[in-house]
Amino acid sequence: MSLEKQEYEYLEKKIGRKPTKTELNIVAAEWSEHCSYKSSKKHLKTLPMKGPRVISEKGFDSGVLDVGDDYIVTVHIESHNHPSAVEPYGGAATGVGGVIRDIISAGTRPIAILDGLRFGNIEKDPHARWLFKNAVTGIADYGNCIGIPTVGGEVEFDDCYSNYALVDVASIGFGKKDRLIKNTAQKGDLVVLLGGSTGRDGIGGSQFASDSLESENRSAVQIPDPFIEKLIIEAVLEARNQKCIKAVKDLGGGGLSCAISETADSLSIGIELDVDSVHTREPGMSPDEIMISESQERMLIITDKTKLETLQDICKKFHVQCSVIGTVKDNKMMHVKKEKNTLALLPANVVANAPLLDRPTKKPAYLKEIQNEKKLKQSSNLSLVLLKLLSSPNLASKRWVYGQYDHEVGIRTVIKPGYDAAVLRLDNGKFLAVKIDGNPKHCYIDPRHGAIGCFEEACRNVVCTGAKPIGMVDHLQFGNPEDPEIFWTFIEALKGLADFAKHFDIPCVGGKVSFYNETPKGPIKPTPVIGVLGLIDKKPLHTSASKGDVLILVGKTKNELGGSEYFEYIHGFVGGTCPKVDFKESKENMDAVLALFKKDLIKGAHDCSKGGLAVAVSELCMQNNVGCKVSLEKIPREKLSHDLLLFSESHSRYLLVAQKQNLVQIQKILSQSNVSYDVIGSFEGDQIQFKTDSANIIDLSVDKVQKRWLRSLEDLVLHG
Amino acid sequence: MSTYTVHVTIENKPGINDPEGETILNDLVLKGNYSSVTKIRSAKMLKFTIKEKDKKSAEKKVRKLCDELRIYNPMVSQITVDVF
Repeated sequence: MSLEKQEYEYLEKKIGRKPTKTELNIVAAEWSEHCSYKSSKKHLKTLPMKGPRVISEKGFDSGVLDVGDDYIVTVHIESHNHPSAVEPYGGAATGVGGVIRDIISAGTRPIAILDGLRFGNIEKDPHARWLFKNAVTGIADYGNCIGIPTVGGEVEFDDCYSNYALVDVASIGFGKKDRLIKNTAQKGDLVVLLGGSTGRDGIGGSQFASDSLESENRSAVQIPDPFIEKLIIEAVLEARNQKCIKAVKDLGGGGLSCAISETADSLSIGIELDVDSVHTREPGMSPDEIMISESQERMLIITDKTKLETLQDICKKFHVQCSVIGTVKDNKMMHVKKEKNTLALLPANVVANAPLLDRPTKKPAYLKEIQNEKKLKQSSNLSLVLLKLLSSPNLASKRWVYGQYDHEVGIRTVIKPGYDAAVLRLDNGKFLAVKIDGNPKHCYIDPRHGAIGCFEEACRNVVCTGAKPIGMVDHLQFGNPEDPEIFWTFIEALKGLADFAKHFDIPCVGGKVSFYNETPKGPIKPTPVIGVLGLIDKKPLHTSASKGDVLILVGKTKNELGGSEYFEYIHGFVGGTCPKVDFKESKENMDAVLALFKKDLIKGAHDCSKGGLAVAVSELCMQNNVGCKVSLEKIPREKLSHDLLLFSESHSRYLLVAQKQNLVQIQKILSQSNVSYDVIGSFEGDQIQFKTDSANIIDLSVDKVQKRWLRSLEDLVLHG
Repeated sequence: MSTYTVHVTIENKPGINDPEGETILNDLVLKGNYSSVTKIRSAKMLKFTIKEKDKKSAEKKVRKLCDELRIYNPMVSQITVDVF
């Protein structure tokens, strides 16, 4: 627990005296990178945050989007990387809990969870396997207990996460617009702490998340308690219905220090609280420990005096503890007392707003060389290559993972995990498509275009269900920002995301920055994870393919194998040309696919991403138990060799499935939209075949690959 | 060589939350009017049967395997080993 020297001086100057010990602890927690965003805040303003659907209020912890008919959708994304790296089960589970409380803070009911998981090489490293297995179980146990479906996400393995874990959790909420909590407070209102008791767990957690992991510093562990979380959800939503809540905030990193100072600052009020009123788990906790404890499952609520009794009754009904810990003042001060003694008295805006930093940037040296492509020999047996890719941990079916999650509870999940994006039924007859995507391999080679690619991939995925993207959340995960080379990659990725968001009018409604993701072997690759929400007015597109259907590829395949699974998994080569999104082409392709969907002309759509065209076609075949014959000559492309054509991960490409009788009309629309496309094959037989006029390049039986694809991840985890 | 029974008790470290124990205390024991109970901590026990030359090496072997195979996570839990 400490402040930098210049931060200490800044604090002293601001308050005109030496801070007390409690004040120092409060400020150190709040000014940690994790809570204050001191490195990133200045730069995050470049993301577009407004849009016709965006509703913003003071002190919102989650993004709010208007989905029409007086309904709103809320969304938030967070990570729990450091805790998950030392205690994967509890770390991942409490990560789910934290993001859910952000959703209920807006007064909406959480209706879905998505999670992005990243670990080291599970084929070689038993520790990575242990982390993976336990993180998945943690998410499953927590999500399943509280009755919120885990509808999607992604799992990726890369050597850069050795001995580490990235656990990103996004949550979606849904509710009535008029029940949105507006966050206001007047002098005399009461400050109530609701939920689990405050203990010594997670002391200094946000500071811990702002340091690189070192073995002796691994103490901040939190134990999940999903049953309390469930009770809190119900208690808060009932309190909302009974109008007991004027303002609410979830207690996350920085604990009470953070919640009190940020609430007071954003609502321009003062808060006076007595640490003795906080219900604690163990005796003898010092006031400082109470202020910075990060015990889970707690909410801060501001209520009107006349409503306190109702609120207490609700808490009693749900067996949730609650205590009045303070009152609202009009002096804009954060005042912490123990009975009559003042322990801390600080202006809330000073505590809540750390001095921002201008970190230096420098283009990393490795980038000069990495785009150079090594001449690699094309494998003679591409059937084997495809089989190997489809059973590799990154591309194999993630059924072992999502099979452990209850993804249907709440009966909203119309399109379930395993497809491009998950689709949820909303009460106003519309549908919400959601997806999160990341690609550290691309981002390592080219942070800017890699990040844009993740964003476009998430958009493509929701478009494949017939949805139009309406908002995004970003989670930017990098190494130590004090290293100018790492900070450069952060700025580049952010610039790319801002450009794409502006060009496509997709507002950024929330996000998080996580720095200091360092492993014993060095920093992680830049890992921005992008979540995109899309709205469908009529029925979503549930992709299916059967014998006799035709396969159309929209979008051009380019010489872009850098960071591809083919280069890295098959050839063990890191480098090359990173796929780049051409904004004009991307928009045209997206619009064309949505136009075909609106006219009901296609049976299905699937995006080409990790693993390229060959993997995408195989996925369609395996999901629908049908063979497919693809003619390589037909693929719209630059002049490319076979392996490039099959495995290049160029963006903006969609595979469309259609019935033969609709083909003429489809071709007319696609030609008019000026997009590159061709009918590349047809669904027939039981083989996945890629051929030229003269030879079969790939020929595999659907049965055989399906078995490998479905089972390889499970076999690896359970049998090593 | 003789056969020993080794009991390994795995529980959360003191000071770390134990929702299971708390739930049993609050929702079962106290509601059942056993008001003299003040605390319950949950734990898991593994009973090993092992062939070793003496008690000491039996304990040592079991401790080693618990550490090596991640039978428990030392960040969160502690173990007590009893040999019979």
